[in-house]
Amino acid sequence: MKKYFSVFKISFQQEFVYRLNFIMWRLRNVMQIFLVFFLWDTVFSDPKRVVFGYDREKILTYVFAILIVKAFVLSARAVDVAGDIARGDLTNYLLKPVSYFKYWFTRDISSKSLNLLFAAVEFSLLYLILKPPFFFQTNPLSLIAFVVSIAVAIFIFFTLLFIVSAVPFWAPGMGWGVHFLVTVIIVEFLSGSLFPINILPGNIYRFLLLTPFPYLIFFPIQVYLGNIEGFEFFRGLLTAVFWSVLLWFAMRAIWKKGLMAYQAWGR
Amino acid sequence: MEKRFNGLSSVGKMKRTSYYFKVWLKMSKNAFSMMLTHRAALYIFLFGKILRFGFFIAFLYFMLKGTQTLAGYTSNQVVFFFLSFNLVDVLAQFLFREVYRFRPLVVSGDLDLVLAKPLSALFRVLMGGADIIDLITIPPLIFAIYYVAGSLGPTFFQGLLYIVLILNGLLIATAFHIAVLSLGIITLEIDHTIMIYRDITNLGRFPVDIYRQPLRGVLTYLIPVGIMMTLPAKALMGLVSPLGVGISLGLAAAGIFLSLRFWNLALRQYTSASS
Repeated sequence: MKKYFSVFKISFQQEFVYRLNFIMWRLRNVMQIFLVFFLWDTVFSDPKRVVFGYDREKILTYVFAILIVKAFVLSARAVDVAGDIARGDLTNYLLKPVSYFKYWFTRDISSKSLNLLFAAVEFSLLYLILKPPFFFQTNPLSLIAFVVSIAVAIFIFFTLLFIVSAVPFWAPGMGWGVHFLVTVIIVEFLSGSLFPINILPGNIYRFLLLTPFPYLIFFPIQVYLGNIEGFEFFRGLLTAVFWSVLLWFAMRAIWKKGLMAYQAWGR
Repeated sequence: MEKRFNGLSSVGKMKRTSYYFKVWLKMSKNAFSMMLTHRAALYIFLFGKILRFGFFIAFLYFMLKGTQTLAGYTSNQVVFFFLSFNLVDVLAQFLFREVYRFRPLVVSGDLDLVLAKPLSALFRVLMGGADIIDLITIPPLIFAIYYVAGSLGPTFFQGLLYIVLILNGLLIATAFHIAVLSLGIITLEIDHTIMIYRDITNLGRFPVDIYRQPLRGVLTYLIPVGIMMTLPAKALMGLVSPLGVGISLGLAAAGIFLSLRFWNLALRQYTSASS
């Protein structure tokens, strides 16, 4: 445990080495929020308007919550794993007395902590500048359910990332391509980080709920907004946990096979 | 280089332009050949780009089904804004993909080798690696624009103005890319700067009318995303004044002039470290 705490500390400090890079990355997050915020701000310019089951307060809260939930769930250092495999740098870790999964999970937590700090500051600044009507959840049960759903989302994204990152075991030049497809395109749209997926037709929405993606962003925010509670929450949580377990076993199986195929190219 | 070009006779200028065009074709052919050696990656990126486009169109369709209009624009108009944004964006990516590969040249000092060649260094680092994936997506995009534009019933003059303003938008995109390259020489930072440029231009996916002031003003005049992406579509819909067109052409000319000055300034700062 002590060694992972050291990894956490070092990783946290490493984020400050390339300060400009980090600030630029955060700036990009804010830019992305602008597009979504103003889009929905225009759609709901009439405060009494209700579309897709959302009023102005709830949709703008959804947009602001994206900033925080993305910092929790989607900020991860494990995106570098594919590069480690492709360059043969994985060998360095295999020789050390550390669990590679735990090592990257610790680094992810470190990155999330820092991103969350910045996201909180950005959230406050944007809140002061844009002055949106904001829905503050006061029900403690909904808040606990929100925290639980975030924890499951973090785990799902971690396993998903490791599965995607395993591609270079067999195709070293494909790492970034597969990441682009899965984490940039598919996760971006299907997780609800651009729009709440329940604006889609009922059958598409219900189908998406069977996939792991909505449980990354959409589900936790809906729980926060109080749109999903009681039985519906437990059903959603059960599906999310099912995906976590399935992806965990899939990740382990893929990595077992991948390590057998690993040839440490470039070393 | 610019001064040398301006000093040529018109025949000399034509010869020089034709020379650069041939060099561009050669460099593009090389870039395509390199990409074709990684066919699987090419297919994945192409599929990803088509998927992203499809997802966004689907999102617009379903959103507008519920809201009917966006900032007073009809569904077809909103889709047309989005398609026009894509055209400028894809054209810029197709032509200027080499900008994304510029950083290693500066960091390693290999930019020396580019500077030593009898060719404009800016031309080489800006247009030296056209992207085949974007090239593939351009024809269907133009077809979609032609199809949706037809439903908006433009006049011949509005259509012509649309083409002129799209080219004008591309000129502004060129100025931005030159500025990013220049900044790259001074700060060694390219990756995030170019992505921030992409994020800013992404705000042009929708008509800039959806943004509040002062952001709308900033996006129209300071970082002229509105002029790059929104104005051409508005011209086709007959919603721009001659003054607006004049200002946009002036801004593009000023952008190119300033970015070239910035490039020259950056080159003087280049230290050739690591070479």
